[in-house]
Amino acid sequence: MSALRARSMTVAALAVATVGLSACDLGKKETIQSGFRGTAMEQAYDMNRVDAAYSQVAIPEVLPPAGASPPGPLPWQNVQVLNDISVAEFNRTMIAMSTWVAGTGNCAYCHNLANLAADTLPSGEPIYTKIVARRMIQMTRHINAQYEEHVANTGVTCYTCHVGKPLPNGLWFYASQNDYLRHYLDRDGARVITRQIEPSNGNRSSVKQTEWTYALMISQSNSLGVNCTYCHNSRAFSSWEEAPPQRVTAYHGIMMMRDVNTNFLAPLEPVYPAVRLGAMGDAPKAQCITCHNGAYKPLYGAQMAKDYPAMWGRADWNGAPFPGLYQTPPAADTAAPVVTDAAAEEVAAVPAPAARVRAGPND
Amino acid sequence: MATLSFERKYRVRGGTLIGGDLFDFWFGPFYVGFFGVTTIFFSVLGTLLLVWGAAQGPTWNLWQINIAPPDLSYGLNFAPLAEGGLWQIVTICAVGAFGSWALRQAEISRKLGMGMHIPWAYGAAVLAYVTLVVFRPMLLGAWGHGFPYGIFSHLDWVSNVGYQYLHFHYNPAHMIAITFFFTNCLALAMHGSLILSVTNPKKGETVKTSEHENVFFRDLVGYSIGAVGIHRLGLFLAVSAAIWSAICIIISGPFWTKGWPEWWSWWLNLPIWPGA
Repeated sequence: MSALRARSMTVAALAVATVGLSACDLGKKETIQSGFRGTAMEQAYDMNRVDAAYSQVAIPEVLPPAGASPPGPLPWQNVQVLNDISVAEFNRTMIAMSTWVAGTGNCAYCHNLANLAADTLPSGEPIYTKIVARRMIQMTRHINAQYEEHVANTGVTCYTCHVGKPLPNGLWFYASQNDYLRHYLDRDGARVITRQIEPSNGNRSSVKQTEWTYALMISQSNSLGVNCTYCHNSRAFSSWEEAPPQRVTAYHGIMMMRDVNTNFLAPLEPVYPAVRLGAMGDAPKAQCITCHNGAYKPLYGAQMAKDYPAMWGRADWNGAPFPGLYQTPPAADTAAPVVTDAAAEEVAAVPAPAARVRAGPND
Repeated sequence: MATLSFERKYRVRGGTLIGGDLFDFWFGPFYVGFFGVTTIFFSVLGTLLLVWGAAQGPTWNLWQINIAPPDLSYGLNFAPLAEGGLWQIVTICAVGAFGSWALRQAEISRKLGMGMHIPWAYGAAVLAYVTLVVFRPMLLGAWGHGFPYGIFSHLDWVSNVGYQYLHFHYNPAHMIAITFFFTNCLALAMHGSLILSVTNPKKGETVKTSEHENVFFRDLVGYSIGAVGIHRLGLFLAVSAAIWSAICIIISGPFWTKGWPEWWSWWLNLPIWPGA
């Protein structure tokens, strides 16, 4: 009887120990101090987890700089956004984008291979990927030009969010489960704390609003792989004076998300086929994790934008102008001289990989 | 007054752990001993160092005086006095004083031929403190992980450490520790009220005895733990509270770095769920 009891006790103890140990972080620990000593303003990391996450990040090789372009005006048709870069830089950017987004070097993901300038397939159906991509280039340039407080001198490229996949991570649609994400679109007032000591009718925030704020904060914490003390001194969450500077960066990030979702992503709804829309018929929208992917800096701070002036939306990067920029941009796209499709294709055929893929159906 | 007439006969020689007869005497009502001397030394030195630290500014406000540990960059090395070195010396003094106090309890217990329950019980509280300022910082590789010495500052430290793990109440050992603290309160309140109730009957009634105590609880819940049992239970609850407190902080950082709510996903990951 007692032997049986001892045996079952041993089994129970082993089970508890197994569960307990398997639920442990056993890697080397790193702690990053971000506040005055003794305040416990710190980020705690298990290096096994960090190494595992870091090894998932693959940065594409930088393409060789664009060579010399033929002189004269740009030969394209129907180029609405990338009309300020040279021919060679244009082609280089297209190749980069095919890897960044389509993931396969596949021009056909966005182009009608029979007519690269067209916005429609041979069947006459619109190529929504091309129309979305065009808007996304405008968005990328807008972010790099307007949100230096958030993206600093690292900037963003297509790869920052897409990481080689057509659909970035963390896209969201209207749903009761993620109501809190509406803060990244059209809902104001993340703060629900009453500022005076006693409660009053001045603050009518509901429990639901409070939960939204909490969910919003936790989603940011998960998106960046950081804890609360990355942006807040928990002795006074609302105090900007006592908060680390990262909170200001995050604030600009929220402003950026609202801008991006309101002006770029949500309005694309009519462009998408039904399979890309949410249950409520809304376009996919972005949130912090879409770019950050669990890291405090997207791609752990890898600087890709500096090598691709097509992504800039401005004339220089950290004061360094890019040789591939088209020096005298045309006044307007429609005013630019129109060339034949054949001529455009000839120019586009300069880089080998693109030419190979494109030439396929014509062979 | 302090020394009652019958106390003298218990003042026997011997039982010391160290120093032989050297400090084997009493000062007024207090037994001195080697560890009495070291207690005085460490506690006076530590307190004066705290006062000296406060005198370095910027405040004499009792709530805001803050003697903080070094930056993490100093690792497990000594830091300059004004940059956390003072905290390190004060910590040495505190560990010395608390340890001396426990050993003094042990010496007195030996003199009186008692068990070692008291020093072990007190030692559980010392263990919790040493875990916070010595063991956990050593496991994490920097003295800067200790908590600062100051009324508000140590509260801010507790708050931020809690939020480092998103929600500390999901720490399983913290749950157990809190449960022991509350159960300890319940047991002490029940025991205290029971003793006072039998010794304070209404006017004209005689003082009741343990039979009444037992009958009360048998009537109430069908079982009485008994006179010795309640003290065993109390000691167990109180010591467990301190030990699980030490466990809950030693696992935060050295053995877990994510939010504590996330730790519970092992439950969801068990291979027993349909569709798993």
